[in-house]
Amino acid sequence: MSNAKERKHAKKMRNQPTNVTLFSGFAANRSVKHYGGGGKPAQTQKPESRSGSAQQQESKVTHHSLRDPDVNEQSSSKVTFRKKGGWKAGPEGTSQEMPKYITASTFAQARAAEISAMLRAVTQKSSNSMVFQTLPRHMRRRAMSHNVKRLPQRLREIAQKEAEKTVHQKKEHSKNKCHKARRCHKNQMLEFNRRQKKNMWLETHIWHAKRFHMVKKWGYCLGERPTVKSHRACYRAMTNHCLLQDISYYCCLELKGKEEEILKALSRMCSIETGLTFAAVHCLSGKRQGSLMLYRANQYPREMLGPVTFIWKSERSAGGPAGSRQLWIWLHPTLREEILEEIKAACQCIEPIQSTICTPNSLLTPLQEKSQTGLPDEKIVTKRKRKDDGENAKPVKKVFGNRTRDAHQPCSWSSPATGIVVSDLTMEMNRYRLIGPLSHSVLTEALKAAAVHTGEEDTEKTPHSWWIETCRNPDDVSLHHRQEAIFEMLGGITSPAEIPAGTILGLTVGDPRINLPQKRFKALPDPEKCQDNERVRQLLMEGVPVECTHSFIWNQAICQSVTENKISDQDLNRMRSELLVPGSQLVLGPQESKIPILLIHQPGRVTGEDRRGWGSGWDVLLPKGWGMAFWIPFIYRGARVGGLKEGLVHSQYKRSPNIPGDFPDCPAGVLFAEEQAKNLLEKYKRRPPAKRPNYVKLGTLAPFCCPWGQLTRDWESREQTQGESCVASSPNSEVGDSGNGEGPRAAAPDKTLQFSAEEPREPEDMDTECQGQAGTQPVRDQDAALGGLCVVRERKLLKQLSSWCGPSSGGSWVPRRAPGRGQQDLTRETCLSILSRFPRALVWVSLSLLHKGSPEPYTMICVPTKEDLLHLSQDRFYCGPQESKHSDPFKSKLLKQKKEKRRRRQTASLEGQAGEEPAAGHEALTQGLWSGPLPTVTSHCSRLLLGFVTQGDFSMALGCGEALGFVSLTGLLDILSRQPARERGLVLLRPPASLQYRFARIAVEV
Amino acid sequence: MAENREPRGAAEAELDPVEYTLRKRLPHRLPRRPNDIYVNMKTDFKAQLARCQKLLDAGSRGQNACAEIYIHGLGLAINRAINIALQLQAGSFGSLQVAANTSTVELVDELEPETDTREPLIRIRNNSAIHIRVFRVTPK
Repeated sequence: MSNAKERKHAKKMRNQPTNVTLFSGFAANRSVKHYGGGGKPAQTQKPESRSGSAQQQESKVTHHSLRDPDVNEQSSSKVTFRKKGGWKAGPEGTSQEMPKYITASTFAQARAAEISAMLRAVTQKSSNSMVFQTLPRHMRRRAMSHNVKRLPQRLREIAQKEAEKTVHQKKEHSKNKCHKARRCHKNQMLEFNRRQKKNMWLETHIWHAKRFHMVKKWGYCLGERPTVKSHRACYRAMTNHCLLQDISYYCCLELKGKEEEILKALSRMCSIETGLTFAAVHCLSGKRQGSLMLYRANQYPREMLGPVTFIWKSERSAGGPAGSRQLWIWLHPTLREEILEEIKAACQCIEPIQSTICTPNSLLTPLQEKSQTGLPDEKIVTKRKRKDDGENAKPVKKVFGNRTRDAHQPCSWSSPATGIVVSDLTMEMNRYRLIGPLSHSVLTEALKAAAVHTGEEDTEKTPHSWWIETCRNPDDVSLHHRQEAIFEMLGGITSPAEIPAGTILGLTVGDPRINLPQKRFKALPDPEKCQDNERVRQLLMEGVPVECTHSFIWNQAICQSVTENKISDQDLNRMRSELLVPGSQLVLGPQESKIPILLIHQPGRVTGEDRRGWGSGWDVLLPKGWGMAFWIPFIYRGARVGGLKEGLVHSQYKRSPNIPGDFPDCPAGVLFAEEQAKNLLEKYKRRPPAKRPNYVKLGTLAPFCCPWGQLTRDWESREQTQGESCVASSPNSEVGDSGNGEGPRAAAPDKTLQFSAEEPREPEDMDTECQGQAGTQPVRDQDAALGGLCVVRERKLLKQLSSWCGPSSGGSWVPRRAPGRGQQDLTRETCLSILSRFPRALVWVSLSLLHKGSPEPYTMICVPTKEDLLHLSQDRFYCGPQESKHSDPFKSKLLKQKKEKRRRRQTASLEGQAGEEPAAGHEALTQGLWSGPLPTVTSHCSRLLLGFVTQGDFSMALGCGEALGFVSLTGLLDILSRQPARERGLVLLRPPASLQYRFARIAVEV
Repeated sequence: MAENREPRGAAEAELDPVEYTLRKRLPHRLPRRPNDIYVNMKTDFKAQLARCQKLLDAGSRGQNACAEIYIHGLGLAINRAINIALQLQAGSFGSLQVAANTSTVELVDELEPETDTREPLIRIRNNSAIHIRVFRVTPK
């Protein structure tokens, strides 16, 4: 009998009472003798005419039966089976004869045992479902789960018990408040203010929380992705329509002071080699937004701090002391601490300022502050007491701005030496990002420039005194009209990609809630406006003139007044309801709020040849408190909302690095990688070993992290040994050939083959520095080694690499940029000179797959061998080579560990609770993961490892797999110099859980 | 237009790839109607042909009639646009007619400076474009 069949039967019989399975006829007379314990009649009733082995088994079973019911059942069913088989075959036929007599007492006892077992089986619920779930469908009723009386009578008792059990598991609501009291506005506000103390909420939080999967990240509660299935829809919105994102969690640092002083302080933190700096002419005038990488002062190219964008406030001809400028630096919240400290150090700003305009909390009205500080007390006091409180205190207000910050903590620092004031404007503004070609239509439909006061209404008191002041000045009014004209012109431009990158436009708009449409619709560009006239042409060419970038949002006092004097939604709706003609336009006249905003153009994809301008759009800066008032109008104009995940997709299709995941050389990036590795390892360990990939066998050393430090070190040592071997093997020819530049390239391939052949046989030199398990430890190791690691961001070098990467010749019709004067040939000397400057460096590359395959994060980028390339050139549809399966050196160790564990458990169960905890000497092995120090990562597999992918997926824009990642500069130069010009830039990709390599083309985009 | 090009031509002479990076911007274009087809060189020829055919065929059957379609081609894609239009005509047994218009499209090239002291430059270059109207006629 087959093993599987037996097992199946055992499973079937598991819940049966043990004695039901046997026909006790013949054995009954015998059983009298055995029947001692009375617990297990089945075993005792076995016929003696059984074979020897069965008897042995039986004795074993009886021996263990008390302790091990599982074994018991197994063997009993086995016995039954044998019996059955015997009956069929017939050699044991005698056992099936009817008994001659029955002893009444034993027979009754046996039946009684059967009945009791049956009863037990009936009453006991084996599944873990609720009672009402076990009912057939036609007997189910609505609300059965919380109303017991809807269940049939016979089940009510059990259901009652279950309901009580779940009540205990439920979260405790505050006992002193009923549902209605909790939902009352005042209490809800209190509750909301309490809940956002630890993790800040954006102003659109409640809107997001209803529609998004929320995550707590970077001290904020952020929407990760919509709950509706919308991956593709969001992509379409980015390409053809408009995608809206709330990125108010980005931090803003403000620097005020003399222009020269600021530039002098900041120039040490960036390098001209990585691109334009704070001093770029068009950025300095305030006309454009700039972006750059910040480093620790004078540490370039090491000690990266992170990427930032910045805008200067334009200098207006009249106003302000000469030379005093304002600069906003926008950065990701993970980078904030480091960059703020560094900027403070660079500007020598040490003196905290307590009471300036920049301190947001001091500006709150005292009542608000009271409600904020009095919060903990109020929570404790009883209901009645709070009512007393409420009489002299105003109702609790929503608190805007940074709620996590301590009220006494300074957020503004000045320096006596340089006169620079650094302040932290985090959460002082909202920032919304609109991506896609329809963002112009959405903006122009939703926002209307503020109406200019004519001066007659000045007699009545309006809270918008700043706007009235502005309207008195004819210059300001004309400027406002010019800004309005430019803004209206945007509606006639079909794509933001046509506008100069980083254009800034300031504007003052009216309340967007006033002209909210009745229904949501999709705003489309108006063909009427799309007249190709001279003014549009000028806008496209010259961009927005410098004066028009001015906005009142730079003025803290005005922003504060705008935030405070916002008409609440409730009042607005009341006014609307009081209109004479329902549904007509609400006219507030001078009472209408005027909101200063700033529009910043975001360039889309600027690098590379294809999909130019993809993902471009506008960022809208608003004063705090106005978030929802702008959010809903945008959505009503047909914008689709995306979360963090959509942001990731956007950056991937734009082929720009994602913050902070794609900055392995900055502290935030290292921290992020560490967290990611921990999460992935936990997730991996949650699965049973048979249901998860065995990464050791797949030859993946680090499936959850990228050991950059070790990778670059390995390549460095390879390069050194190779250089030595070059010199040793053919000193004469090498020296002679190196002049024409052709020699090394020809000689090199032989060397690779030789190397890759002998390398795996070498004893793996364990890196003594690198200790710990493959899951989380290497990241820390990388942290230690970060001193030597850097990412190449020098534009000149990147351009050179970019020109080397592409196939330099071939039948392709793609017009290639002619190599300029600065370009050099790829020779050994140039490589060496580059490597001497960047010994351990990584290069940001983008990869597109040739045929099949969709890469994922942590995919390995490998070097193809000569045979692979040959194979590919012969067969155009060659998918790629396969990695052979590796052996698992940890298997025996793991088995031993397991055995030991089992033994210990056995002894423990015998001796009681003596040896519970495992011996401390052993580190816990995880099956399927490399434990202990990693061997040389580059040569662990059959193809040399070049780097890792950090973002990768099937690209809906390209229609094939697309990946972004880092490769070792040494390795890249090595393969580029080896590969023939026609196939240059071909690499292999292998995901961590697969053995299949796929071909991809590498490109460095600047 | 020509006078605009003159000073920029002079600027072109002093351009240095070390000091500037070329960034091409998207051509200015009008909002797309449903019967506008912009031909490109990346999409498969057959797919683009089928798309045009479908637009025209839907007109004869359903309510969303496209009695005429416009095929636009710019630069290198002019050839392909003409090819598509002629293929459509050839496959229609005389029920389709074509009418071509040519035009010049201004393209904007932005030159991003590599040094802080320079302003970004704008270069205007012209490219030819074709707009083919493919329309139904009642065969006589």
